[in-house]
Amino acid sequence: MGQIILGVGDYGASNRPGEEVKTFALGSCVSVILLDPKTRTVGMVHVALPESTINKAKSLEKPGYFVDTGIPALLVEMAKFGCNPKGKGMVVKLCGGANVMDTNDTFQIGKRNGLAVKKILWKYGMGAVAEDLGGNFSRTVTVSVDTGEIILSSPGRSNWKL
Amino acid sequence: MTEKISHEEIQKVIKSVPLLSPSANQLLQATTDPDHDQGDIVQIVKLDATLTARVLKIVNSAAIGLINEITSLERAISYLGERLVVGIAVGDCAAQLFDKELKGYEGEHGDLWRHDLRTAIASREIATLSNLKINPDLAFTAGLLHDIGKSLISDYLQGTASEVLSKIENEEYGDYLTAEEELIGIDHPRAGYELALAWKLPEAITEAIRFHHTPAEAREDLRELVYAVHLGDNIAMLGGCGTGADSMHYKLDPNYSQYIELKSEELARVMLTVDVEFNKLERSFSAAGDSNQ
Repeated sequence: MGQIILGVGDYGASNRPGEEVKTFALGSCVSVILLDPKTRTVGMVHVALPESTINKAKSLEKPGYFVDTGIPALLVEMAKFGCNPKGKGMVVKLCGGANVMDTNDTFQIGKRNGLAVKKILWKYGMGAVAEDLGGNFSRTVTVSVDTGEIILSSPGRSNWKL
Repeated sequence: MTEKISHEEIQKVIKSVPLLSPSANQLLQATTDPDHDQGDIVQIVKLDATLTARVLKIVNSAAIGLINEITSLERAISYLGERLVVGIAVGDCAAQLFDKELKGYEGEHGDLWRHDLRTAIASREIATLSNLKINPDLAFTAGLLHDIGKSLISDYLQGTASEVLSKIENEEYGDYLTAEEELIGIDHPRAGYELALAWKLPEAITEAIRFHHTPAEAREDLRELVYAVHLGDNIAMLGGCGTGADSMHYKLDPNYSQYIELKSEELARVMLTVDVEFNKLERSFSAAGDSNQ
């Protein structure tokens, strides 16, 4: 079975039957998953930081690294599969955005990532139907192209579905 | 049911671990001396043929991408930088520890080395922030060694991870350190500290290993360094690079702000640099056929 593995700051999409889209060990990073029922396409971006303003050059080289450039880049990618370029009709699911224990405001990168994602999605008129954000554990995420089913795993925990 | 590890037993485990090579030890000592220069580093490496060969192999590896081959040790060291040379020396001696699959934490093979390398880079980046007086090379080395204790106690923790996680969730344990202490009678910073004593590591590094989760307890004159490693460790975990089930189940000490001024934008920049540098370093280590991968 084919797998598309996405690293930090990567985005990708697939409509190939039997394939999976996967990303490993989201800490404070967020995985934005877009499912397009019409074209049966699954898209995912693994964003690390909220704003590309901290490093424009990096956002050009790897737009998926930042929330504000990563989500638009994923939509452009999915348009190649015949999906609506504004994300119309897509189902949105989110996971990741963890924090360490007893964290202070500065270190709430996970929370800021989650909020930034929701803000951008809102601009597109999109909202998540399911999310598994926050907590203090890392998540590995696998999405099946056939069923759109999302399986999460984390060391020391049993797998769960989103 | 796990059993507590006695003092004698932990000493036995430490004795079974190889000692650091004399050159690795000298390099660590040199890093902590504020008056040392690159000439001192070259002198130490020069006397160790294996290390010299490794350094030259890494500097000329494809990952570094030099057009012309470097054959002089001086140039190789100045190109790679002191911290990387120390990293190579320590990494080679302690490969058995860094390389260990941390079954007790349900970590995968290579997790510890990746986490340590990320912590090292993040600690160094924190150390370079403007208001600090920490030597960035020292912060790198301390970051590299901070979790070495996990290798010593991991086997004793086998099969405990899921129970520990639910007990932390139910607030029976405050964090993963409490769990280690409760289950086997010693937590990983103290196990690491015992090893640091056996290895006769410099005090600054020993202190960072011992107090990386409780930096407020570190010696006042070394507290800045220990806080840098504390933050570096947390940054590595947030970056998704922990050592298994324990990742992010530790407390961040917010009092770091008394020693280290860090705005959220600076933190974001540090995290980005850590990602970029980590990918580069990991490539150069693996290109040189390092066993720590």
